[in-house]
Amino acid sequence: MSASQSAVRSRAEAVQVSRALDWMILFTLFTAVLGGYHIHYMLTGGDWDFWTDWKDRRLWVTVAPIVSITFPAAVQSMLWYRYRLPFGAVVAVMALMIGEWINRYLNFWGWTYFPVNFVFPSNLVPGAIVLDVVLMLSGSFILTAVVGGLAYGLLFYPGNWPIIAPLHVPVEYNGMMFTLADLQGYHYVRTGTPEYIRMVEKGTLRTFGKDVAPVSAFFSGFVSIIIYFLWHYFGRWFNKTDFVDPADI
Amino acid sequence: MKTIKDKIAKLSFVALLLAVTSAMFYTPTASAHGEKSQAAFMRMRTIHWFDLNWSKDEVSVNETMTISGKFHVFAGWPETVDKPDVAFLNIGIPGPVFIRAGSWIGDQLVPRSVSLELGDTYDFKVLLKARRPGDWHVHTMMNVEGGGPIIGPGKWVTITGSMGDFVNPLTTLTGDVIDLEDYALDNVYFWHALWMGIGLAWLLFWFKRPMFIPRHIAITSGKADTLISAGDKKVAIAFAVGTMGLVMMSMGATNDKYPITTPLQAGLMRGMVPIDLPETSITVKVEDASYRVPGRAMQMTLTITNDGDSAVRLGEFMTASVRFLDPDVLEDESGYPDDLLAEEGLTVSDNSPLAPGETRTVEVTASDAAWEVYRLADLIYDPDSRFAGLLFFFDEEGTRQMIMVDAPLIPTFI
Repeated sequence: MSASQSAVRSRAEAVQVSRALDWMILFTLFTAVLGGYHIHYMLTGGDWDFWTDWKDRRLWVTVAPIVSITFPAAVQSMLWYRYRLPFGAVVAVMALMIGEWINRYLNFWGWTYFPVNFVFPSNLVPGAIVLDVVLMLSGSFILTAVVGGLAYGLLFYPGNWPIIAPLHVPVEYNGMMFTLADLQGYHYVRTGTPEYIRMVEKGTLRTFGKDVAPVSAFFSGFVSIIIYFLWHYFGRWFNKTDFVDPADI
Repeated sequence: MKTIKDKIAKLSFVALLLAVTSAMFYTPTASAHGEKSQAAFMRMRTIHWFDLNWSKDEVSVNETMTISGKFHVFAGWPETVDKPDVAFLNIGIPGPVFIRAGSWIGDQLVPRSVSLELGDTYDFKVLLKARRPGDWHVHTMMNVEGGGPIIGPGKWVTITGSMGDFVNPLTTLTGDVIDLEDYALDNVYFWHALWMGIGLAWLLFWFKRPMFIPRHIAITSGKADTLISAGDKKVAIAFAVGTMGLVMMSMGATNDKYPITTPLQAGLMRGMVPIDLPETSITVKVEDASYRVPGRAMQMTLTITNDGDSAVRLGEFMTASVRFLDPDVLEDESGYPDDLLAEEGLTVSDNSPLAPGETRTVEVTASDAAWEVYRLADLIYDPDSRFAGLLFFFDEEGTRQMIMVDAPLIPTFI
């Protein structure tokens, strides 16, 4: 067989090769996104995602969606622009969450023995599904950024509330009130994470009394819109094939 | 020749891979906390821990022990380290091998950061409950915002038993009795499994059809609009509506199940009450101080004045948690860690009792291998070459007076 001949000899074989390539590309995409997105999210969301005593109603709600809408936006731009596949956000988020669970279970629990109910990751799936559906139905990146980005920020807190609410039940301990999450942070010693670096409940958002989570979620949604645009263009830029000479194909 | 070279190259590569792989299986236990590598001036001129007591050397899982003592916040705090306006009484252990069941400065529980005053001395206590079996180096520790961890002395403690037996029972303010060790864990697994299952269903809906090559061909040939069918859109709408519905319903159900929740508790705790130490009747002036590198010894010339009404002798010089004792005056009976204790490390040129009203100039030498072992000799490479420490004087009845010293230090290399 020469280089100019086709590698397949029938339609059935072509379909088979195409499917094999599908799975190879998916596997590569999944693991590459898992690695890159995981590092990105650990560096930017880090402690807010690691520990329950960082998962507050102000900064966690604000920061986590903003820093996590990045890779979904970039992967969406690639999969939609090149293939009209509307699962970029979900595949990215699933890769991240699987990577996080591996890390939390093997490292945080298996290696350093922090209980899993203290170190579980945030749930990002609801926002990612809506992000993908908005892109698919609208076919517009602008609408996806504005509607999907906002929804991504808004859905984050309610999507996680069923998981963290039990840990926000108050407890009296040695004459002071804690949430159970606070107590986890106090009990399970982190030598390198002193209490003062915990960025929770800080800021001047006091006008809304106790109902600050919705305001934080709206703010997060607005910033997520901007970040979505930015990372959409990162995705496009990384998808450029300008370096491939058509004559060589 | 080329074949031999290729073979050598291949075998070398295989050997490299084998070496890297086998190295992965060599994971020795990390037993230390970097206490020796922290800059000497940080340990000498920030927090001085003393009168320490580890209540037990061996505990079984679920049993408690305390570390108690005092710490002095040094008045000559170095300019290069932020002052302890925000500090946290921590414990230096390799992860949660104990849980911190309580920590107090004075009588105040300190689960959060506190503000400390320079020059003050505080009582402290940390209550630990054993969780994971093993031999662990347990340090006192103060984290200072802008300064980092300031680690105190460490002592080996053995935990026996099985971690599977560990329990952390609590009663919430809503009356529920829980075990914090695995509380709500099923709930965490359930929701994560459910949402990842939904995400996987969305992915499988698309994965089951041909993806990359045929769709790319369709797009480049202008048939992009044919790739999303009306049925696909219906399914997508069902996913979106179902997602939002599930989020709302689960949030409502959660609020019904947990009607009382509170925000995370945070905020600086001020007003730590220091120990009310009596006025000292001894004054010490450091005339000069030098560190003799070959002899691993620090020499000080001190002019000591006793304005009290009983004669005193110098019994101890303590710096960076290393205690240099004059055995004629003081013997340690607290079980202080051996490696930090120079039981005969303090020599005073004339340590006869200093009578009331008397002033005497003496040569004091603090010598021990600990200078080298604990890398305190590196002080001579610090940007602000000063030393600091605590001097403890004793009268005949054993009454103790604590004096701080802080002065420039000159190294001598010959």
